[in-house]
This record gives sequence, structure tokens and C-alpha cells, in this order.
Amino acid sequence: MDSTLRMLYHLAQGPLVWAAFILFWVGSVYQVARLLSLTRKMETRRRGRAPDEGPLSAARSTDGQPGRWSARLRLSIAGTHSLTIGVSVIFHTLLFMVPLFLLAHNILVDEAWGVSLFAFREKLSDYLTWLFLACVLFFLLRRILLARLRAISSFQDYYILFLAAAPFASGLLAYHQIFDYRTMITLHMLLGEIMLVSIPFTKIAHLFLFFVLRFLVNHEYSLGSGRRAWR
Amino acid sequence: MPDRVATEVTVSAESTAVDPARIKQMLNRHKAKIKISLRACVHCSLCAESCFLYTSHQQAPRYMPAYKFIHSTGLLYKKKGKVDRACLEKIRDIVWQDCVLCTRCYCVCGIDIPGLISLARGICRSQGVYPDFGVSGDG
Repeated sequence: MDSTLRMLYHLAQGPLVWAAFILFWVGSVYQVARLLSLTRKMETRRRGRAPDEGPLSAARSTDGQPGRWSARLRLSIAGTHSLTIGVSVIFHTLLFMVPLFLLAHNILVDEAWGVSLFAFREKLSDYLTWLFLACVLFFLLRRILLARLRAISSFQDYYILFLAAAPFASGLLAYHQIFDYRTMITLHMLLGEIMLVSIPFTKIAHLFLFFVLRFLVNHEYSLGSGRRAWR
Repeated sequence: MPDRVATEVTVSAESTAVDPARIKQMLNRHKAKIKISLRACVHCSLCAESCFLYTSHQQAPRYMPAYKFIHSTGLLYKKKGKVDRACLEKIRDIVWQDCVLCTRCYCVCGIDIPGLISLARGICRSQGVYPDFGVSGDG
């Protein structure tokens, strides 16, 4: 048993890290390139932006008055679903920030390459991890309790939420040395690697798809140039 | 006088068979868009309130824009066009009765939901499955 764990530990902290990072980057570049190849640049816009009349136009910032932005926000999806959007913004920010600015991660990077990012105090990372897990719980309860979410939920929705939460939960348990540390840290590394590899190949790909669909593809709600159309 | 539009379809004898190859051909023309849209949909349900039919039907999930595109074009795509008439008739009720294609639905991820519902309408129509409004002029 102990030798299996030792082998897994060495595998997870060595070759699998490289494999995960390589698969993540190759997969991500492939997905973005494929998305761009599936769309083409348009000569002219086919569908314009939202008409200038209507409730949004009154809120549109034309003279830069400070009140206008709050009106825009109120009329946007953040006004309709303030709580969900708020939790979602916190969730996605922490998903990137906590692992990137974690002291332990940065020490490892520093030991390996002699460079590192700025790191949060350990206590802060601890609180932020709890906050992140609370956001996960919010999404999970929402998915279980709301009929409209149950109507469209599939196994993959639960799976990607698990993939996001598992490295955080196992990292927290390892940091607090709850259960066997060696097992927890091995599990933490393996789960993190599975999560990384899954990004380009599961629904987590909305990480790229969001930007392509909202910023590049032309439609009424395009946020960016919106100068591409589906082939 | 019925309070809803009658969806009984007048089907002629030669059009009863469904042509999966033709459906697949129509789906393939928009394969990229369908595939990416299905993957991009994170099933967040935030599109619900943008549908006036959803808000005016006691928030019944079947009026949610995501539900409508997943169970019409999404279903046709997953089954690769291999569906029977009963299935197409279910889709017909979704894309004509539960959606009026007002194109006001808002997706956080930028999915073109009206475009996908419109495609499902086209596919149903190609198989002779569409609502009979009683004013077709055929008789």
C-alpha cells in the first residue's frame, strides 16, 4: 500500500505535471485554432447591435454621467440575477487567483526555476479557499434545488463542478493536515492534473468559448468587434 | 374556439416517412455552430428571464431558451438526424408553440439560440412536420 502511494506521489509530482501542462496547452491551442477555423471574417456586419431605442438606450452612457453605469448594470443580467452573477464573478476570480498566488505553489516554482509570482499570506489563501468552496456549494444547491436547472442538467455539469472543487478541497485538507497528509497531497496533485487536462476537452472549455462567442462572433450582444461569422 | 394554435398536421401519404439523411445533411451544414453551442452551454439557466413565454407561464422550465434549443436542434444533432415522426412532432411543439422566435433571448455565453431554433424549424418543415394554421390555401 505504502509503495503504491509512494509511486503515485512521485508520478504525480513529476512526469504527470509535465504531461498535464503539455496536454492542457496543446489542447487549448488546438481548441482556439479550431474555433477560429470554424468561423470566418465577415465583410460587413449581418446583424447589428441592439437598437438605439428601448430601455437600454436611456441607460447608455453618452455624456459620461456617473449614474448611467448603475442604470446599465441594473438592466443587464447582473440586475436580473444579481446573486448568481455576483457569486459567479467571485468563483471565477478565485479559481484563477488562489492557485496562482498561493505561497506553497510559488515556493515550488521558485525552487524549480528561481522565479515566482507575488504570493498571498497563507491565512488569506485559507479564507479565500473557504469562500471558493462556499461558491461551489451555492452552484451545487442551485443545480439540485431549482427545477429549471434540473430540466437541463447533465452528468457533465456536476462533473465539471467537482473538477473545479476537488483540487481546492484536497488542498485545504492537506494544508490543515486533516487525514493523512501524504495521501491528501498526492490526491491534490492528481486532481489538479485531471482538472488541467479536462479544461480543453469538457464543458470547462467555456473558458475559451465565452471569449470567442461573446467577443469575436457577430450577434446582437457581441461585446467585442464581432466581425466573425460561422462557416 | 381553441385557445391555442392547433398543431395537428395535415400529412400527405408520401410525406409520412422521415428522411434521416436529409436531416443529417441540413445539420451538417451548421455542424460547427451546433457543436460549439452545445459545448458552450454551461446549463446556467440565466437565459430564462429573457423569454417572455417563460415569465408568462409561471416560469415553466420548458419555456427556457436553453431548454428549447437543447431539446430541438441539440436532440437532432445528438441523434444524428435518426429520429421518427413522433420525435419530430415533439420538436415541432417546442419550436413553434413554446417559441415565437422573437429573438430576444440573451445568453451569457453568446450562443445564438434563435438561430438554432430556426434551424430546427427548417428541419421539421423539410420533413412535412409543421403547425397547420388552417389557412394554408390547400383546401
